Amino acid sequence: MSTPTAATTPQEAAVPTRTSRTGGARLEERAGWLLTLPFLLLFVVFTAWPVIQSVFFSFTDIRNKDLRTPFAVDFVWFEQYAKAFADPIFRQAAFNTGYFVVVGVPLTIIVALAAAIALNSGISRFRAFFRLGFYTPVITSIVAVAVVWRFLLHPDSGLVNTVLGWVGIDGPNWLGSTTWSMPSLIAMAVWRNFGTGMIIFLAGLQAVPTQLLEASAIDGANAWQRFLNVVLPIIRPTVLFVMVTTTIGYLQFFEEPFVMTKGGPLNSTISASMYTYQQFSFGNYGFAAALSYLIFIVIAIITAIQFKFLSEKGD
Amino acid sequence: MRLSHKLVALAAGTALVLTGCGRDEGTPGDNGGSPAGEAVNTAAAKGTLEVWAMGAEGEKLPELVKEFTAAHPDIKVNVTPVPWDSAHDKFVNSITAGTTPDVAMVGTTWMGEFVGMDALDPTPSSIKLDGFFPGAVDTTMVDGTSYAVPWYVETRMAYYRTDVADKAGVTEVPTDQAGFKDMAAKMKQQEGSKWGISLQPGRTGSWQTVLPFAWSRGAEIASDDAYTFDTPEMVAAVDYYGSYFKDGIADPNPPEGQTEADFVSGAVPMFISGPWMMSLVEDLAAEDGDDAFADKYDVAPIPTANGAESASFLGGSNLAVFKDTESRDAAWTLVEWLSQPETQITWYGLTSDLPSLQAAWDDDTLAKDEKLAKFGVALKTAKVPPTFPSFEQVIESFDNEIEKVAKQGLSGAEAMKAVQAQADSIGTGQ
Repeated sequence: MSTPTAATTPQEAAVPTRTSRTGGARLEERAGWLLTLPFLLLFVVFTAWPVIQSVFFSFTDIRNKDLRTPFAVDFVWFEQYAKAFADPIFRQAAFNTGYFVVVGVPLTIIVALAAAIALNSGISRFRAFFRLGFYTPVITSIVAVAVVWRFLLHPDSGLVNTVLGWVGIDGPNWLGSTTWSMPSLIAMAVWRNFGTGMIIFLAGLQAVPTQLLEASAIDGANAWQRFLNVVLPIIRPTVLFVMVTTTIGYLQFFEEPFVMTKGGPLNSTISASMYTYQQFSFGNYGFAAALSYLIFIVIAIITAIQFKFLSEKGD
Repeated sequence: MRLSHKLVALAAGTALVLTGCGRDEGTPGDNGGSPAGEAVNTAAAKGTLEVWAMGAEGEKLPELVKEFTAAHPDIKVNVTPVPWDSAHDKFVNSITAGTTPDVAMVGTTWMGEFVGMDALDPTPSSIKLDGFFPGAVDTTMVDGTSYAVPWYVETRMAYYRTDVADKAGVTEVPTDQAGFKDMAAKMKQQEGSKWGISLQPGRTGSWQTVLPFAWSRGAEIASDDAYTFDTPEMVAAVDYYGSYFKDGIADPNPPEGQTEADFVSGAVPMFISGPWMMSLVEDLAAEDGDDAFADKYDVAPIPTANGAESASFLGGSNLAVFKDTESRDAAWTLVEWLSQPETQITWYGLTSDLPSLQAAWDDDTLAKDEKLAKFGVALKTAKVPPTFPSFEQVIESFDNEIEKVAKQGLSGAEAMKAVQAQADSIGTGQ
């Protein structure tokens, strides 16, 4: 069961309007409609209708026992939304999600970019092996990953604290402390997700012409200057793409706390999506739908901001 | 201009839809309060039954059902195993869609919710419930009507290492809560012990450990029609539970899944859990080459206070028949057969599920195991939480507050005030 955050926008079927239509054009138009009809029907039944229904849910007091008679519910307009803003656990969940995004997204992008540059120019031997190794966590089941990370982060016998112990640091109870639980999950998420960004950055780096780099080197630019003034502007669209997709993914962050901490300790890792999921399983469908739309609105706003500030200048 | 036309049309459409909405007058889930379902004709029952069961029960049930179909050739039974993780949602979805099974294993804490959705058939009067453990019967009762038959039960007891207790000079486990805590404190001081007792510091399911302490000192979390978390008895019970963490007897941040290992190694020589832990700790010790571990530990009832009776938590599962069944007679015939003493003993042999029928406990298979017999005694007085439809949601906030008590030293009064406020805003859901 996933939260119905509609990440798709209904594509309006564009109808060419002409002032004087010939019979052939009209036939063609009809054929076009006929051909798109199967898709449109499926889209309306399986995408558009559930979205409209969930919007409707979010303005009512529907609970799971009302599902057989979904119209026999009372309209409460914005009461569910007001309840969400007043709910201390949801506020905590929203804060946690913000924390995760603000720290996690830049970290993921930096690590992904560093790995991509290393693979693109630094590492020449075993390149394929490293590429595969860095990408493996992305395609590994979260459940298996969770088992491994729990071992790593175990307070007494975990690898992390054992290594820290060698240098005389008494490591914390990573998943059991409110201070360290979220950083632990962020580390895990970065490790799990940077492979995706890395592959895309690798493709983007192919587009940087070597002549440009050589020319700037002759002009006396060092490696850092070359990266800043030559590479970065060219891969800007790639950075935007990775940033937007990572942010959307991280705003819906759910799996890590679900398998690692169940939102604890003391709700320090509960995420907005996870809280929504809990409300669905309690049968508070109206409230959960309202929460889903709040998450959706936030994602839409943040994505719009990123496009505005990062897209090509002069577009 | 065209936009305004659209707006008018939209507004009119919305108004039309709105008039079709609104709740009916009358209380939901009110079905006239029938005392019991209609009688069942077991002699001529026939049909095909779709049965859902979770976990190990789902795997083993087909084997047991073979005996049933041999005796009732006119009834066909299909068992569908359902994974525990998704079971609750699967049931709710099937109730909504009207695709429920005929018979299903239903977790005791789900009863209120499913009855609230008007999904279960009341137990027919021909099935007598007086032979079952009283706590187990309570789990089937919603608003005074029974909607299921108890299938198997479990209860929680205090496990302790007898060898460590001997070293600590504890010959008999104290039955009073103050004495019990002293014992845990002494256990902690023994060589090799890191903590005295393992108690769940909040989070999901911790209520199953906290409530037995509360019930055993006379506290109740609900009356007939409301939650009562903020009573003085309940507050005192939560403070008592919290004091284990405050005094350093129990670990407020225990590593996950280490209870059995810590018990076998002696690092944490006490914990509170159900009967399944016996085979878990013995198997773990056997892996370490200790085949005589069964002699090194024992179980004791939950300690009491204020002169109350020891009352642990009774869990388990019920067997329910869904209203939409087309073979009601056959469905109840199967349920009745599954709740016969001899069937329950066979079932215990297959799954180690403890019988819900008191008569089955007289059988040698169960009676000759000393530790198991103690569970049998505890089951007689074990209690269950109220079967309100909103219970799962309310108890979630209870678990959250218990975590604050254990890890942040929140007072029982503050914690229970918060839970009561949450419970009042959610309501009983009836």
